[in-house]
Amino acid sequence: MKRFLSFCLALVLVLSLAGCSGGGTSDKTSQGVQDTQTDKGLEVMGDNVTYDPNHLVNDGEPITIDWWVWATEDMFRSIAEAYQEIHPNVTINVINNPWDGFFTKLPLALQRDEEGPTLFNVHNSYEHLLLNYMEPYAIDTEELIADYPSASTHLMDGNVYYMDYGLSTGMYYYNKDLWTEAGLTDGDIPKTWDEFIDVAQKLTKFDEDGNMIQAGYNYNNYFNSTVIGLNYQFGDNLFSADGKESLVDGKGMKEATSFLIDLYEKYRVGDKDFGTNYDQSFYQGQSAIVFAWGFFVGNLATNAPDINYGTFEIPTQDGDTPYAYYRYNGESTPGINKNATDAQKEVAQDFIRFYLASDNVQIKLSQDGGLIPAKSSLMDAPELADTPIVKTVGDHIDRYIWPGAMPSTVENNLKIAGEDILYNGKEIDDALKTAADTIDIDLANADFTSSESLYAYYED
Amino acid sequence: MKHKVLRTALYIVLALVGVITVFPFVWMVLSSFKTNGEIQSIVQTLLPQEATVDNYLNLQETFDFLRYFMNSIFIAVAVTVLVIYTSCLCGYVLGKYQFKGKNIIFGFVMMTMMVPWSVTIIPRYTMFMEAGLQDTYLSLILPVMVSGFGIFMMKQNMESIPDELIEAARIDGSNEFQTFHKLILPLCKNGISAIAIFQFLWVWEDYLWPYLMIDSEGKQLLAVGLTLFNGRYSTDYGGLFAATTISILPVIIVYVIFQKRFVAGVAAGAVKG
Repeated sequence: MKRFLSFCLALVLVLSLAGCSGGGTSDKTSQGVQDTQTDKGLEVMGDNVTYDPNHLVNDGEPITIDWWVWATEDMFRSIAEAYQEIHPNVTINVINNPWDGFFTKLPLALQRDEEGPTLFNVHNSYEHLLLNYMEPYAIDTEELIADYPSASTHLMDGNVYYMDYGLSTGMYYYNKDLWTEAGLTDGDIPKTWDEFIDVAQKLTKFDEDGNMIQAGYNYNNYFNSTVIGLNYQFGDNLFSADGKESLVDGKGMKEATSFLIDLYEKYRVGDKDFGTNYDQSFYQGQSAIVFAWGFFVGNLATNAPDINYGTFEIPTQDGDTPYAYYRYNGESTPGINKNATDAQKEVAQDFIRFYLASDNVQIKLSQDGGLIPAKSSLMDAPELADTPIVKTVGDHIDRYIWPGAMPSTVENNLKIAGEDILYNGKEIDDALKTAADTIDIDLANADFTSSESLYAYYED
Repeated sequence: MKHKVLRTALYIVLALVGVITVFPFVWMVLSSFKTNGEIQSIVQTLLPQEATVDNYLNLQETFDFLRYFMNSIFIAVAVTVLVIYTSCLCGYVLGKYQFKGKNIIFGFVMMTMMVPWSVTIIPRYTMFMEAGLQDTYLSLILPVMVSGFGIFMMKQNMESIPDELIEAARIDGSNEFQTFHKLILPLCKNGISAIAIFQFLWVWEDYLWPYLMIDSEGKQLLAVGLTLFNGRYSTDYGGLFAATTISILPVIIVYVIFQKRFVAGVAAGAVKG
């Protein structure tokens, strides 16, 4: 034991010398080289937001910045590398963090001046945590909006601190094999809710005892994400005209909720106790149709690569263009740390301009992320034409609403409301009223204002 | 006869509890050889239907698994050894020396065990930031190198050592340094074993503090790395199970090394000698 402890102690002392030294600055040591070539012989990129690569950044002196991301590290690294190819004096350390805890650690790190990340990925639901540490983009906002129309919803005091690079929304995923088995064809893709009920019923199977053995449609464990946005089709916005209070207990949400409940209880196309997770039930071929956002494409590739699936857009009441089909959310461009040094911020601003002006970057972001490009000129890009989300909702994306950087209280409380209605027998009105009361208190505390009024057809 | 029946019943209950305790680990290990589709299948089987080692082969793709693993080994060993040493030292002083204020000092040590970590984490974070220790291993080692629990355990252990032994050593010419290192430490193997297992496990599984303090990917620890399998929208269960299976090996090895003396060490710490 003594020898063992002595050995360990000696090992620790030796390793401590190696492991503890260096401190936090070692990774900030630039690996870049001096750049003296102003004219790089490269073309100017972009339409309205343009990027002229033929200039020096940081006077060509080596400089390193950190860029914090929480996923798809390789994708972001390739973008950083493309920028570093143009400016070899710049080193961008792409640092991957777990999603869990990312927004706990990030606000702390942003207070660390030049030692913190200069660039960081943003999720709009955490805007309120990050805004105090963000530097506005040094790009003309009119140019930004001309290229990226959804940037208008991110204007704050005439500035843009972050915006969408890609848009995602919900759509229906259906199992093509079950579809064919039920005698349905491509011509049966529903355009109206009545048609939807009809095909869902054809896809629902029961055994001789009346027990469900296949669900036509399954929204279990996804009620809240489904219903938030469905209210637009039933005549209400999600938030009041001043954008401060929720309309979660309003007519639109009540009707949307009733409709979802009716799908199970009246039309029997699914059951709250059959396939308690919509996604896993779909993976197993147990449920024929599910509603999910664009991310589900990636989940299917990982978890159920053998499922032969197709997608269709959310139906409407009468098949005509509604006030809005549903809501969308954006994947956000990186934020710039206002506490970084001037040199770091100069590089970050230059990088953001490159990021937004380069079509190659934007196409890659939408391709790898399964998104609709926020840059309108890329809507018809051949590289994106075959992605499920572009094919399914690309034509109508202007008829989807971004409600704003909604705090998570909205989804959380509607999840509770859904479970109370489905599993605890609570009346729809009561459940939604409870949710609305809690949400409104939380919204007041978060100083939230909805962006619904910025929707192009808001006055309709 | 009645005694035999009771004993048999006790064994059966213990066996059942053992199976229930171990089953999740067995399930995790076996599931690490399944595809994600099979792991999430509604029809579950214990053994993989289509065994695959891809989850293990792909570990390095999610993050630098080997590096994180070695980083965790280094920190866990460093902290465990330091805690053992400081606990023995403090336990010896509090258990065997008589001086004014001893009980007050011990009271303070006990109080540190009663303060929840969540209360101290913010001031601790600020202190380490101000000291410029962010992103260094010192920030992971310093806050835990002295353990109230360890001191308590070792004080109880030290008190069970007869004073006559220490006096005999002194009479034979041993100085205090020699007495502590050559006589006392070897007599505390049981207590040291117990602390080693507890401390190694605590450091090995600690997530929040390393995550807050370490920024560089090259210095990050395995407990943080494991959370990278949890994405925003889905979890790579196969990868997570494979990584977790490997990550529990050091804990098992440490337990195997120290287990013989573990129970005796905990028992000795629980009663005053």
